[in-house]
Amino acid sequence: MADQPILTRGLTKHYGDFPALVDLDLEVRAGEVFGFLGPNGSGKTTMIRTILDEIRPTAGSASILGFDSRRDSVEIRRHIGYLPGDLALYPDLTGRDTLSFFANLRGGVDWTFVDELAQRLAADLSKKVGDLSSGNRQKIGLLQALMNRPQLVIMDEPSTGLDPLVQHEFHELLREIASEGRTVFLSSHTLFEVQRVADRVAVIREGRLVAVEGLADLRSKALRRVDIEVDQPIEPDELDGIAHLDGVRQVDIDGRRLSVSFSGSMAEILHAVMERRAVVDIATREADLEEIFLTFYRDRAG
Amino acid sequence: MTPTAVSGPLYLAALRRRVIPAAIAVVVLGLWLLAAMAIYRDIDLGLYTDLPEGIRGLMGIPAEADTATLAYNVLFSFTGSLTIAGLAVSWGAAAIAGEERDGTVGILLANPISRHTVLLSRLAAGATVTIATSALAWATARLVPVLLGVEIGATRVDAMMIHLCANALFWGALAAAVGAGTGRARTTGAAGAAGMALSYVVAGLFPLVPGLAGLAKISPWYYFDGSEPLTNGVRGSHIVVLLGAAAVFTAVGVMLLRRRDLRSRDSGARLLDILRNHPVTDRVGDALAGRARVSHVWVRVTSEHQGLLVVTAVVMFVVMGVAMGPMYAAVDDPLATFAADVPEQVMALAGGGDLSSPEGWFQAETFSLMAPAALITIAIVLGARALAREEATGSLGVLLANPISRRRVMTHYATAMVAHALVVVAATGFGVAAGSAIAGLGLSQARIAWTCLLALLLGLVFGAIALAIVGATGSSRVASWVTVGLALTSHLLNAFLPLSDRWAPLAEWTPHHYYLGGEPLTSGADVGHLGVLAALVAVAFWVALAAFERRDLS
Repeated sequence: MADQPILTRGLTKHYGDFPALVDLDLEVRAGEVFGFLGPNGSGKTTMIRTILDEIRPTAGSASILGFDSRRDSVEIRRHIGYLPGDLALYPDLTGRDTLSFFANLRGGVDWTFVDELAQRLAADLSKKVGDLSSGNRQKIGLLQALMNRPQLVIMDEPSTGLDPLVQHEFHELLREIASEGRTVFLSSHTLFEVQRVADRVAVIREGRLVAVEGLADLRSKALRRVDIEVDQPIEPDELDGIAHLDGVRQVDIDGRRLSVSFSGSMAEILHAVMERRAVVDIATREADLEEIFLTFYRDRAG
Repeated sequence: MTPTAVSGPLYLAALRRRVIPAAIAVVVLGLWLLAAMAIYRDIDLGLYTDLPEGIRGLMGIPAEADTATLAYNVLFSFTGSLTIAGLAVSWGAAAIAGEERDGTVGILLANPISRHTVLLSRLAAGATVTIATSALAWATARLVPVLLGVEIGATRVDAMMIHLCANALFWGALAAAVGAGTGRARTTGAAGAAGMALSYVVAGLFPLVPGLAGLAKISPWYYFDGSEPLTNGVRGSHIVVLLGAAAVFTAVGVMLLRRRDLRSRDSGARLLDILRNHPVTDRVGDALAGRARVSHVWVRVTSEHQGLLVVTAVVMFVVMGVAMGPMYAAVDDPLATFAADVPEQVMALAGGGDLSSPEGWFQAETFSLMAPAALITIAIVLGARALAREEATGSLGVLLANPISRRRVMTHYATAMVAHALVVVAATGFGVAAGSAIAGLGLSQARIAWTCLLALLLGLVFGAIALAIVGATGSSRVASWVTVGLALTSHLLNAFLPLSDRWAPLAEWTPHHYYLGGEPLTSGADVGHLGVLAALVAVAFWVALAAFERRDLS
């Protein structure tokens, strides 16, 4: 299989005059969980539907598992699993009928594995899909995407409606897929989910790729926060020295408590505080993806 | 806030949704009327006015029949009334059950409005559209003779339209009551259409049978044109019956809707589910509903419309097939007299055929209108509408994530369409053969089979056209309305054009000409006609494949 299960070059899609996707160059590597982040309407689903040949690019091309997304679309679908964002199945079929239906289209499905997956996700296969709650329907969607052990799993907002326990199990599954050398492309606006499972993240905004980073790199560039408690109340004018240190973005004060947002090293900040007061307690918090995400949008807006 | 019976915003929204189909219907009816009147203007009306009085009465033609009366009679007593009543069934069935089918009833009723407000607002909008459609059709009916310079004399087209409007309101309210009581829009729509067809046949046939004439009054259609409003003006008592029944149905609908649980989606028990859940039939049911059903795309699609298939096949087998044999035996004497007096051109309007022979009887009653109507409906619903629905709901996206090309998906839908049409045409053919055998009419089985084959192909021509429209647009509504319009136009042109020597050759441009044009039940096989229909199916299907392959899916 290709080293880059997903490779797009100048991928562009216009709806009339509206550019939904602009010049997208993206490389997803084999064996990784790749997070695709962006707010509603940023072009995530358009990108997925374009590479799956549901809609046709206005310009550019995409290669999936080494195959051309347009010419070899049927061959591609032999090797992928896909869960659409707005999942719709056949309400009259039971969960098991639904999986049998798709298994008959694909062939080569191992039912022992399907039953094991169903058990792990606590999916009820005996009821009609139309009678299931949205979360339980989503589980059937997850099973149909995963049941034939695809080389590439493409999922659009997969955790919709799942309870926290099932979400946890699902994230385990995704990590297992990556550890077997298979690839997961996870489109989401749920930062928490991407943060838990992704190796690398792409951020898309108004159809344009804003950044592609490893999660660790992204974090190192991002803001962190340190909360320091000192022995005596501290006056605002005493803070000037700290506020002007390299990397410090913001300093808040509340009596004996001091809160500093910064990037880079914490050593200088601690040193500056200890020159003025005795430190009683200290707590640091790594910035989560939400803060990183907001930073991207704030800093690169426009 | 005081709860009101009708909500303004709901009423207006429903009105907007219904305006376009109604406007198209008025325009198409106007064009047909123009064509019909132009042809009647050209021909010698003596062939109608010289008919014996009894037969003229039966056909609703006054002694001084003129061009306008004949055109109005042919157009509004059948096509126009069925079209406007059909639109009414569509708004009636969808009034509340449509929201349940689409899963939107929950969010609608999260607003401070009651169930019956929703129902009554939709019915008020539907009734407004029906009344406006009838009024516009009346205006068109008055305009066309002016354009053509035709005198309308004493013809009471206003009375005809009042009856037509009341009839449509009756069927709309009936469909609304059934939809409100069951929450099943599709089943209600299908049952409404079948009920209308049955009622039309009963009102037309029972008066021919000695002893059954009185029973025609059980058919709602009798109150539409049983009193011949075009000649005799408005019959107040008949209007009261139709509108009174509509009011009763509305009240029943409100009452039933108050009592039942709303459906979140239209996924109640189907025929196969009943088999599957019964201890005696669970094995067979499981094989059919489970393994067999999911073995191929086309089998799953075919299994989705079990109710429609069963109703259509049973009606075609029992009513239009088996029952027609003994019915003919009961009326063959008066029919022979009738047939001897009616010129061939006039009979051509009723689907051709010599009514004094059993072949002609079956051609006129079963094959001319009902068989194509049933087959075209089935073909559109099972092919184009099913595919459009798969695209609209989004399940097409999941399906196409599997290793299956768009061409194969389209082919599976076409296969499902053919499978259903085969069931209906087989039910019709076996019904006719059984009817003929029971009454000892001696119809040739080979010719029945040949006629059925042509009927199947005619259905598939329009089914494939609908598939091509869905392939190109993805729109179920556009595909349905355009295809039904084309099918009715083809039927009418094929019936009318041969009346005039000048226009007769143009009939060969309609698909219907290649269906019954060669009178297959009487004359047997015409391979050329079969070839033309088969070629039309092939071309339309090729267009469907090409269009579906190229388009961005919605």
